[in-house]
This record gives sequence, structure tokens and C-alpha cells, in this order.
Amino acid sequence: MALYKINVNGKEKSVEAVPDMPLLWVLRDLLDLTGSKFGCGIGACGACTVLVDGVSQQSCQIPVSSLGTKKVTTIEGLSKDGKHPLQKAWIEHDVPQCGYCQAGQIMAAAALLKKNPHPTDAELDDALGLNICRCGTYQRIRDAVKAAAAGATK
Amino acid sequence: MSDRKELTRRNFIQLVGGVGASLALGSFASLACADVALKTPTAGTGASFAPNVFVKVDPDGKVTVTIICPDAGQGSRTALAMLVAEELDVDWHNVAVVQAPANQAVYGRQGIGGSNTVRSMFGELRRVGATTRMMLVAAAAKNWKVDASTLKTSSGHVLSADGKKSVAYGALTAVAATMPVPTSDIVLKKPEDFKIIGKPRTRIDNPDVVTGKAQYGLDVKIPGMVYAVIARPPAFGATLKSFDDTAAKAVPGVLQVIQVPSGVAVVGSNTWAAISGRKALKIDWDMGPNTDLDSAKITAQLVAAVGPHKEMPEGAKTIEATFDFPYLSHATMEPMNAVADVHDDHCTLWSGTQQPTGAVGQVAGLLKLPQEKVTLNVTLLGGGFGRRLSNEYIIDAVNVSKAIKKPVKVVWTREDDMKHDNYRPAGHSALKGAVDASGSPVGWSHQTITAGRGGAGSYGNPDLSYNIPGAGMRQGGVRIPVPTGAWRSVEHTLQSVANECFMDELAHAAGKDPFEFRKGLLTNERLKHCLVTAAEKAGWGTPLPAGHGRGIACFEGYGSYAAHVIELSVENGQIKLHRAVCVVDCGIAVNPTGVEAQMQGACTDGLATALSAAITIRNGSVVENNWSNFLWMRLDGMPKVEVHIIPSAEAPGGMGEPGYPSVPPAVANALFAATGKRVRKFPIKLDELV
Ligand code: FES
Ligand code: FES
Repeated sequence: MALYKINVNGKEKSVEAVPDMPLLWVLRDLLDLTGSKFGCGIGACGACTVLVDGVSQQSCQIPVSSLGTKKVTTIEGLSKDGKHPLQKAWIEHDVPQCGYCQAGQIMAAAALLKKNPHPTDAELDDALGLNICRCGTYQRIRDAVKAAAAGATK
Repeated sequence: MSDRKELTRRNFIQLVGGVGASLALGSFASLACADVALKTPTAGTGASFAPNVFVKVDPDGKVTVTIICPDAGQGSRTALAMLVAEELDVDWHNVAVVQAPANQAVYGRQGIGGSNTVRSMFGELRRVGATTRMMLVAAAAKNWKVDASTLKTSSGHVLSADGKKSVAYGALTAVAATMPVPTSDIVLKKPEDFKIIGKPRTRIDNPDVVTGKAQYGLDVKIPGMVYAVIARPPAFGATLKSFDDTAAKAVPGVLQVIQVPSGVAVVGSNTWAAISGRKALKIDWDMGPNTDLDSAKITAQLVAAVGPHKEMPEGAKTIEATFDFPYLSHATMEPMNAVADVHDDHCTLWSGTQQPTGAVGQVAGLLKLPQEKVTLNVTLLGGGFGRRLSNEYIIDAVNVSKAIKKPVKVVWTREDDMKHDNYRPAGHSALKGAVDASGSPVGWSHQTITAGRGGAGSYGNPDLSYNIPGAGMRQGGVRIPVPTGAWRSVEHTLQSVANECFMDELAHAAGKDPFEFRKGLLTNERLKHCLVTAAEKAGWGTPLPAGHGRGIACFEGYGSYAAHVIELSVENGQIKLHRAVCVVDCGIAVNPTGVEAQMQGACTDGLATALSAAITIRNGSVVENNWSNFLWMRLDGMPKVEVHIIPSAEAPGGMGEPGYPSVPPAVANALFAATGKRVRKFPIKLDELV
């Protein structure tokens, strides 16, 4: 066990953990940030996607010891008021079914729009290609990301 | 912490207080999610007006609807609240929902399955709204000293006949609570007067979902809670001989290692500690009697169980085909889990289950406690599809908590979840059909044999939708020690899929267009209309680029009707999906955006199971263990999916399942159109076409 200081959603947090504990479990079990979901634990589903220094990454694949001073953003920290254009688009396009995968989908989309505000269909497919939605909300995910990219949310 | 607030909010008894003594509405007997026998009227609680267990009106006009059915993503929390809000005549933005815990005494049986939730409660929840509204109107009539029949309501207000006087529901709560509960002359709105039903309402949980606040079973944390994972038998029928927990206990954060009925539980101070501890555990298993079992042998047994086909008419042209189906995992996005806090005289549970009252019964039996001493708080479900009809993950948590005398969350990892599911059974369908010289079908024989622990008859036997003289369907089974269970649309995932594949082959044998052939044989007008609509929307018969093909199929069941056209092509040795046209007639679409979502979801399931998803058995165990080898659709493989809802004033049909069965055959039929080759096995591999 060691003490790690990590930066999550703009705040410095101290956690006591084994070095190999994945960020996902640090967030969920130690910091009570349960918005990032466990779907596979092997980097194959995207449910645990967070931003690390603005880049989309699977938190189940990041040992806490490797984070250093990198800045982690989770769904809870994506916006102050839940009004990120993607969050608004997700509500307006009624994307969620069970909702379990959606934090990961939104975080992957947020990383995409940050570096590429107007992605093509192929770029969108590529950026969200890891994220499984078992409920099959893909059509609405496409529609919602495009609406957010076009600034077409209310 | 938001967890705690959430849990308290969900605790119905606390929240609605004394409403256990509630309104008498004898008509609830037909609820499928509940068979509710409500008792005597209540005067409500405090200043709020809660005339029955389903609805509460606050002095500020806020309406809270209690949802007694779990929401596994089918949108029931939204659609059920819409039913109440419609007849109560309130504005949708003033409506909130609260999830009821399991409580058979108050709500009757609570459970979701068979695409039943909305259709089974359509009449009853509207009556709840209507009676509540009538009591508010009676209260205004009393205050104004006028006859209630002269008053109207609109947007959460009671209005005088001339519209000059208006009072908000919130101002009437105290008086309304003293009004008698109407038991007769409950008038429901006419469909043409609906303001909420039939108008798309985005999901009531969306704001919580997109901010990460929505709480699933896996997100529950209660004071003093520890975490556990269980090492389960590595083959079906394997049993524990002994284990050595020395290394496991040396893993930081591991608290205890104990034997439980389902295996060896490793308890840790967090999930990762438990998972790491399990990796270090040394277990000696007796591998049991099934280590020779594999998918090829199972298929051989299924094939051997096929009997002779029905006789076909003399002189007719006959064709035969067979279709193999693999086991399928439900693979809900949220793996199985539950939190249990077991004490000597009571037990509290948190879980997302499709069968809350069933779980309470099981746990009460296991702990030898009266049912009222078992509290189950129902969280959101990260997917159901039939997987959460059984409650073994809750039993796991109860067993561990009982043994360690602490609250515990039992987590199934994805590997646990995929290798220990109740699978859609593997199956083998054999079909024979005949057409006469004019191309009319004159014979049809269908046998499907499924492989599951239940043997024959464990999966249903659907009717054929087509008018074919002497058509015969037979379902049989072989007993195979692989646990099976209901999977979205159950038997239709096999038989109805095989029917619609073979229908295409019969049309071809008759020299007819597969759409026209079906159309001529369908007897149900609603189904026929779906088929025709799908063909029209997809441009059936219009030219396609070279190498493309369209396939069509249709389905009726669960009180609804559906048809699909899939367009695909084969490029560079790979199937590329271009377009999925989905049509449904589900009667009144209570929430059209929810109906569309169910069709999109079922379509995705149909595509994934047609093209890639399969569970394979080898050495008596499941080979696939995660999303890396149980291959599901991802964004980049998805075609454009369009959904068309047939306008209807008929009673609502089910929506969870009817969108699935015609998708895999539409894919197979499109592949024939594109390549001239037939599918004999799912999931489809191009090199296995014939
Ligand atoms: S849980 Fe991390 S990618 Fe699936
Ligand atoms: S909404 Fe259920 S998994 Fe995506």
C-alpha cells in the first residue's frame, strides 16, 4: 500500500492503494465516483472511459501508480452543471436505454470533439469504436454527437 | 454522499409513510407486474395527498409516481409515469418518480418479463391517475360549493365551468385527502384527448445518467460494506475439493476467504483487493462428469433428436433446410452484483433484478425469515434481457454476508458473468416445405430441438404466421448440463428466426418474390401492413448497387407486429451492413421515443447475434469470457437504423421483445440476395454459406 496524490476533476485527492490498483476502482471504491462503470476490466468495452490530460482512456487499464500529476476527468467532472453540449444532446436525443455504458460513450465523444470539433462519420466511428452499448443505442449516439458538434443543442 | 440520499429516496416506506393503508381499487387484479390488492383509503401523509400507493401530490404541485416495476433500460419508469400523469392531467415537467422496493403485501408480484410492463399496467395506472384527479376535483367542488360534474381540469389545476376560477392541485391536497375514493364511474380520457400518452418523452433518468449520478446495483455503498468476488467451478458440474488461501490472504486488502455454496468467496476492503485475492487463490476442483462436453457434440445430439418430417403432399416440389444456433450469453452491460446486509432477524438488500418479489421469497426461504423481514431496494438495472429474472447473484451476497456478518457487495466480473449465465439454449431447426405447380405452399414441417437443462418443452413453440395447409411445428429438447434461461424473445430467437429464413427459401422454390410471397400468405392484417410498410420504406424492388442485397422478414408476438428489411453487401470478404428498416405496430405507442429505442436495441441484438455473437462450449465450460471474444456490434459496424411506428389506437402491445426475431432472418435473406448462398448456421460466417 502507498499513498498517491491524484488530480481528479480539478481536485487533488489522496488515496491509499496498491500500485497496480486500476484507476477505475480507485474512482469507484475509494473516491465514491461511481459514474465510471465496470464493464470488462480488460480495456475491451469502454464503460470505464475517462479523460487523462484530455485524452480518452480506459480507467480499468491505468494503474494508479502510473498517473503522477496527470489530470483525470470523469463524467462527474465533465461540466459543472451537467450542461456540456454532449450531455444536453444526450438528453435531447434520448440516447440512454439502461444508461450503463453512457458515461463512457460521452467521455469518448468529449475527447473526440475536443481535438476534432467536426468529425466525419468515419472519425466518429473510430473514436467511439471501442465503446459497447449492449442496449444498442448506436443510432442515437451518432445523432447526438453530430448535434453537439453542430452546436444544435438547446 | 449521493448514494445515501439516493437510497433513502428510494425507500418507499419512509417516504410515503402510512400509505400502506391505502385506496381500495379492486380492479388491480389484472396487473402483470403486480397483482395489487390495495386496502382502505388513507387521508394522505402530512400536507401531501397520497390517495394510493402509486401517486403523491405535494402542496407545491409536484407529483411523484411510485414505479413498482424494475427498469432494465426498457424505459418503464418514464412510460408508467406518463400513464398516471395523463389521466391526472398534470404537466409532465412536474412529475417525478420513485422506485418502490420489493413489497408483495403492498404491490403484489413485482417483476418484468414477457414484454409485459407497460401493456399490463396501461389500464390500471390510468385509473390511478383518474381517481386521484376525481378526488382533487371533488375537493375543489366542496370548496366552491358546486357540483363536481361542472368542473374541468387542465395542467394540474381544477377549473370552473366558465374557466374563470382556477385552483392548483397543490392547494387542494388537504381537502382532497378527505374525499371518498371513487370506485365506480371512473372515466378515462379518449385517445384523441391524450396530451402525454403518444407524445415522445425523453427518459426521466437521463439527467442522472449523463452526469454519472444514476445508481445501479454496482454503485451501491453502505456503511461498513466490504467487497467480494467468488471463484466459481471451472466446468459445469465441477465441485470444490479443497483450497489453499495462504497466498490470497497475503494480498493487501484481502480480509477473509470463505467457502460458499457457489464457490470460494474472497472478501476484500475494495473490489480490486477481492479480485487480486481470487487470482492468488489455489483451488483443487473435482472437474465433474462433463469435461468431455463441447459444442460439436451438443449439435450432434440435437441433430440426432430430429424426427421424421410430416408427409408432404404427393407430387409437390419439396425443399429442406436446417439451421444451427449457438448458446448466447445475455451479457448485460452491468455484470451481476448485489449488496446484502444480513442480520439474525432481518436482511436488507440492494440489487437490480427483474424479479424483486421473487428474490425476497428466495432470500426469506434461505434465511428462514418472514418475508416482511427481507427488504430489497431496487436499483436501476444495467440491462436485463432476461438475465436478471434469476437471482443467484443476490443469493451469493446473502450467503457471504451471512457468513462474515457484515454488509457485502458481491461483484461478478465480466468473466464470471459470461461463463456462468443462464444461456439462450443452443438449438437445431430442421424444416421441410412443399409448393405445388402454381407456386402455392402446400406443406410445412418445422422441428426445433433445444439444448438445455430443462430438456424438451423448456423453450416454447410459436405458431406460424402464414396460412399454409397442414403446417406443423414441433419443439423438442435434449438434456444438456448447460444452464439456460429466457433471452429477449425466448423461443422466437430460434423458431421464428428459422421460419423466416425458410420462408425465403420456399419463396425461391416457388419462383416468387419473397416479399410478395409472404404478403399473399399472411392472414393478420396488422402484420401484413408492417410487412408492406417495411418494403415500401426500404424501396423493395428498386435497383441496388452491384453486390448489394435486401432481405425481408416479419414477426408477430407479445401483442405487437414487426417487419424488417436489411440491406447489406459483401466487400473484401466481409459483410457490410448498410441500412436497417424497422417497422412496428405496437398498438398505442405510449412513449414513441421509447418504442423507437426498443426497436433500435432489438435490431442491434439481431445484427450481433446474426453476425458475430456466440457462446461455445469446450471441455464442459464456456470458452468466451469477455467482450473481446463475445463479439457484439460496435458503432463502426452499425448500419443506419430507421424505425417506423404504425399509428394505431389498439391497446398497447409489448415492446421489449418483438423487435428482435425478424432481424437475423432479414440478414440471412439479404445475404442470399447478395450472394445467392444460404445461411445454415448462426452466427453467419461467409465460408459456411451453402
Ligand atoms: S471496463 Fe474498462 S474498458 Fe471495459
Ligand atoms: S444504454 Fe445500456 S448498455 Fe448502453
